Amino acid sequence: MRPIIKVQGISKRFRIQPRESPSVRYETLRESIVKTLRSPFGGRNGNRDNMIWALKDASFEVMPGEVFGVIGPNGAGKSTLLKVLSRIIEPTSGRVELYGRVASLLEVGTGFHPDLSGRENVYLNGAILGMKRREIDSRFDEIVAFAEVEKFIDTAVKHYSSGMYLRLAFAVAAHLEPEVLIVDEVLAVGDASFQKKCLGKMDDVTRSGRTVLLVTHSLGMVTQHCQRAILLDGGQIIKRGAASEVVEHYQSRTAAQSSS
Amino acid sequence: MTLQAARTADSDHSNIAYDLPEKPLVTIEAHRSWVPLNIRDLWACRELLYFLMWRDIKVRYKQTALGAAWAVIQPLVTMIIFTYFFGKLARVPTEGLPYPIFFYTGLLLWTFFSNAVNSGANSLIGNSNLITKVYFPRLIIPSAAVGAGLLDFAIASLLLIGLLIYYNFQVTLGYLMLLPLIALTTLLALGVGIWFSALNVRYRDVRYALPFLIQIWLFVSPIIYPASLVPAEWRWVMILNPVTGVIEAFRASLFGRTFPWGSLAYSSGFTIIMLAYAAYTFRRMERNFAELI
Repeated sequence: MRPIIKVQGISKRFRIQPRESPSVRYETLRESIVKTLRSPFGGRNGNRDNMIWALKDASFEVMPGEVFGVIGPNGAGKSTLLKVLSRIIEPTSGRVELYGRVASLLEVGTGFHPDLSGRENVYLNGAILGMKRREIDSRFDEIVAFAEVEKFIDTAVKHYSSGMYLRLAFAVAAHLEPEVLIVDEVLAVGDASFQKKCLGKMDDVTRSGRTVLLVTHSLGMVTQHCQRAILLDGGQIIKRGAASEVVEHYQSRTAAQSSS
Repeated sequence: MTLQAARTADSDHSNIAYDLPEKPLVTIEAHRSWVPLNIRDLWACRELLYFLMWRDIKVRYKQTALGAAWAVIQPLVTMIIFTYFFGKLARVPTEGLPYPIFFYTGLLLWTFFSNAVNSGANSLIGNSNLITKVYFPRLIIPSAAVGAGLLDFAIASLLLIGLLIYYNFQVTLGYLMLLPLIALTTLLALGVGIWFSALNVRYRDVRYALPFLIQIWLFVSPIIYPASLVPAEWRWVMILNPVTGVIEAFRASLFGRTFPWGSLAYSSGFTIIMLAYAAYTFRRMERNFAELI
């Protein structure tokens, strides 16, 4: 069987801002003119000290129908990996090949507009996530029923409680049906009973044979749903294999670090 | 559990038939240089373009008492002020046209153009939440912002029709040129809007410079005065402005005057080059949007 996602030596380097302007992430025209005047021939890449490798030479393959976990501590490069796979940021080097239709879910409710009604937001959000209008039409009732907001579907979402808002946002995302689903920790929102429903939906998704790349802090989710996993730290893959093994490795590592 | 075991376990409950293509659907790589426009990608997202335009239109007049009437109020009030100051007081010549209709024809196109450029230029920044969370061809965003202005234009045009009837103007063959002219204005606004939207992500100076630029642009366009008022030796300066040809042609086709083919050809050429250059700049800068915004 051939892989559906092929990641080959992906690296991503970020420039970290100099100390003077930590909050200003964009440069002004004046700064860039001054920079060009100072060094008119190249040298625009700046100081090597200001560079950080968020991801370094990561390679792995995901098989069709597999639920694949990515775990690691904060700042390990998980989000960077997700953003590269989702085509939001471009890698500095390396290559990714995707052999199926991919939808990625980095947060729920992307593009929700507070002034629009629930109904309008379902269509807008669905379109943003890559659903066709027909698909949204056919799943609309299901989405609304899942979110349990039937009575308020024509009310502007700014009047929703935060729970209702999250439920509707999750419901749209849960009804995406791509071949490959890339998910960040957006699962399980709302109150206890709705969380249970979200996890149930997640079970359905994993059992339907859809390929899922799951990035999470919840080791329980990984052992429960994933067949294989990788452990990222400092931008590098430090452990790969069966999900339970990788989780164990991560736990013993964390335990060793905290006891020393 | 070994890797092999994991794979077999997985294939047991797989009930989607995966028929993987020989070539990858998508390849993600670092691009050192410029990437050509991916028309197929854009076409696949036409529904998203429609939804974003629809959102912009829906949201624009939410919680306003007057709603879509604002689309008419803006050029109407400006027309009244211009009629008084530039018409009744300064007595600007208008090539024999009544002041209200002379100013309104110019303002109608100009209001659409300047609003489209302005909302296009600020569209990427305004949608930064989308850019950092979802992938789709980024060109959709400024295109939707420019396209959404067409509805306001259509609403404001109703008043023009009223004025044409009131002043008893006859329908002429020139009306055939109206649609191509509106399309040209839209494309010009799209070119300028796309270019500024990309620059705006990197240089927030655009936000401050653009309103100023648009104001100056109004004064060097034949909106308050006819291009014929400018002395012959300076007319070329006037015509360098791509908006001149469009507005002169717009008036010519409405009022059956001689058609300014020369300056219109220049405007069209300028529009094509501007669009190509803007798309090039946008594509070159696009890959860094999520990091810079």
